[in-house]
Amino acid sequence: MSQSPADNGSTQIPVTVLTGYLGAGKTTLLNRILSENHGRKFAVVINEFGELGVDNDLVVDADEEVFEMNNGCICCTVRGDLIRIIGGLMKRKGRFDGIIVETTGLADPAPVAQTFFVDEDVKRATKLDAIVTVVDAKHLPARLKDSEEAQEQIAFADIIVLNKMDLVSAAEADEVERLIKAINPYAEIRRSTKSDVPLDAVIGRDAFNLSRILEREPEFLSGEDHHEHDSEVNSVSFEVSKPIDAEKFNAWISQLLQTKGQDLLRTKGILHYKGDNRRFAFQAVHMIADGDYIGEVKEGDPRKSKIVFIGRDLNRPQLRRGFEACQVEG
Amino acid sequence: MAEVSEADFLLAQRGRAASFDAWVIGAVFDEADRLAFALADGTLRLGGMAGDWTTVTAHDGAILSACPDIAEGWLTGGDDGKLVRTAPDGSTTILADYRGRWVDHVAAHHAGVRAAAVGKALHLLGPGGPLKTLTHPSSVGGIAFDAKGKRVAASHYNGASIWFVAAKEDKPRSLEWKGSHHAIAFSPDGTHLVTAMQEPSLHGWRLSDGQHMRMSGYPGKTRSLAFTSRGRWLATSGAESVVLWPFFGGGPMGKAPTELAGGDEVFCTAVACHPQHEVVAAGFGDGLVLIAEIASGKVVPVAPPTGSPVSALSWSPNGALLAYGTEAGHAGLIDLARRP
Repeated sequence: MSQSPADNGSTQIPVTVLTGYLGAGKTTLLNRILSENHGRKFAVVINEFGELGVDNDLVVDADEEVFEMNNGCICCTVRGDLIRIIGGLMKRKGRFDGIIVETTGLADPAPVAQTFFVDEDVKRATKLDAIVTVVDAKHLPARLKDSEEAQEQIAFADIIVLNKMDLVSAAEADEVERLIKAINPYAEIRRSTKSDVPLDAVIGRDAFNLSRILEREPEFLSGEDHHEHDSEVNSVSFEVSKPIDAEKFNAWISQLLQTKGQDLLRTKGILHYKGDNRRFAFQAVHMIADGDYIGEVKEGDPRKSKIVFIGRDLNRPQLRRGFEACQVEG
Repeated sequence: MAEVSEADFLLAQRGRAASFDAWVIGAVFDEADRLAFALADGTLRLGGMAGDWTTVTAHDGAILSACPDIAEGWLTGGDDGKLVRTAPDGSTTILADYRGRWVDHVAAHHAGVRAAAVGKALHLLGPGGPLKTLTHPSSVGGIAFDAKGKRVAASHYNGASIWFVAAKEDKPRSLEWKGSHHAIAFSPDGTHLVTAMQEPSLHGWRLSDGQHMRMSGYPGKTRSLAFTSRGRWLATSGAESVVLWPFFGGGPMGKAPTELAGGDEVFCTAVACHPQHEVVAAGFGDGLVLIAEIASGKVVPVAPPTGSPVSALSWSPNGALLAYGTEAGHAGLIDLARRP
């Protein structure tokens, strides 16, 4: 498992990844972030210069060049242009407070996220803040049926801006939320019209900070887990109360990510190892994993270990058995 | 090198330190041994062993790449999209404006040709202006002229391309190897081309027969690589020592590299080979600068650690001056000429 990228704290510049299907309202949100009077300066990495461009902000044109790492893993793709652009931006240190990376509507968010785990220079200079996905409340159900990318953009999201609420009825809105939660119950959903969400709902979220992983408990509209699936991508989570054997867990998760990494979009876990008073947090994007201890368990707090998988074709019983087999007697 | 006292560093004995408050992109000597530091604040700082540093604002934004220009002065590319020539008197000329696209890499050869990499395009310019634009399958990661200035090589994804500068019809020789290639160097005799990769390893091609060379085992990414003057060794950064690959006696295939000045658990971040002797200068992640003689392995400390990685390092063409700079803007110039 690699070292946590968040080691040297405050000097790392936060990066927000903005994704969303064509026409969902991504550019509107970006313009809103840039034009709001917040006193912060952003460097914005976009794919096409549009009407964008606000004084004091630095706009960089990107090419979305995705390439495979030469490590025999076909899902280990990164954005070469981002490595280059962030390398360049870092030399201008102190001239901006954050970076926003916009992806094209059809982009798979994984290579962007993986860039922040894989490249040593990018890791040293920046930290992934959150993946924000803008979706169109009216058209999302249709998109989810015909587009793998639309599903992946939901699956990867930390925050989902459910936009164009003025175009749907209350019942339609609830149905869209249900569809989103069936894929990714851990993302925070913000309803909006014309992408009018407050800046701090999407910027400065620190969603990839290991110590905040699984901080948010999912809320289910119906109060229970969904077993019928409208899309290929969905999520499963398991909780166990006995302590985890670190060696067993490492062996199991490494094997799992190696063999199923392509289908596992995001994995997050909080673990209590046997004989250790600290909690171990763990996250992965496809097969690229990152984990570290995140502090002591408070006296009297339950010592439950939990793992969440968001992905394609998840074999629930097999994953459950695998995780449960990592337990040992306390 | 914890046991070395401040006074033992060449900087204290025969050098001059400066602090510029901006990332040093390049320490560049022109062909007449005149020095300019190129900084990420868009300026060049011109100066020598004595007197003030002259500030020249060359770019509106950051300088991304710098090299000596044809004959004299300096050539810089910036994130303002401009390719700028700065003359020794500090006057600047915009040679090209690529309109908001970053000029990531620049190179020039005294045969009279300049190169600027902008995204996938490699623009070649002569003394009179643009010559041609060579397009690659993906963004260019690094560029290099061969020793005679007849060929130019560009690294990119899945390999490198070699072009003849004066060709009537532009068709590259494509050298393929999967992965992302960055820093690039021709051997001085023009027989080998080597690139540094994302992976962290190096890849090389023997140009006579296309034979591949893989040089791996680096704990970090190699950002800086340079051949010694006669091409016997390739010096590289990216490890806790200066890693030198032998390009003689059948090497580097099947040969282990020589490692110099290791042991401090700090990565080497920059290397520069002496223009005449088999001596290599190296900068490290903590700001330490040293020079090492390859044959004997003897190491001479040049500048003490400042805490910031060395980001620029070069020798003057006459071999008497060494200049370095760091990410935090520390810089130094050392006069190594024999004293009467």
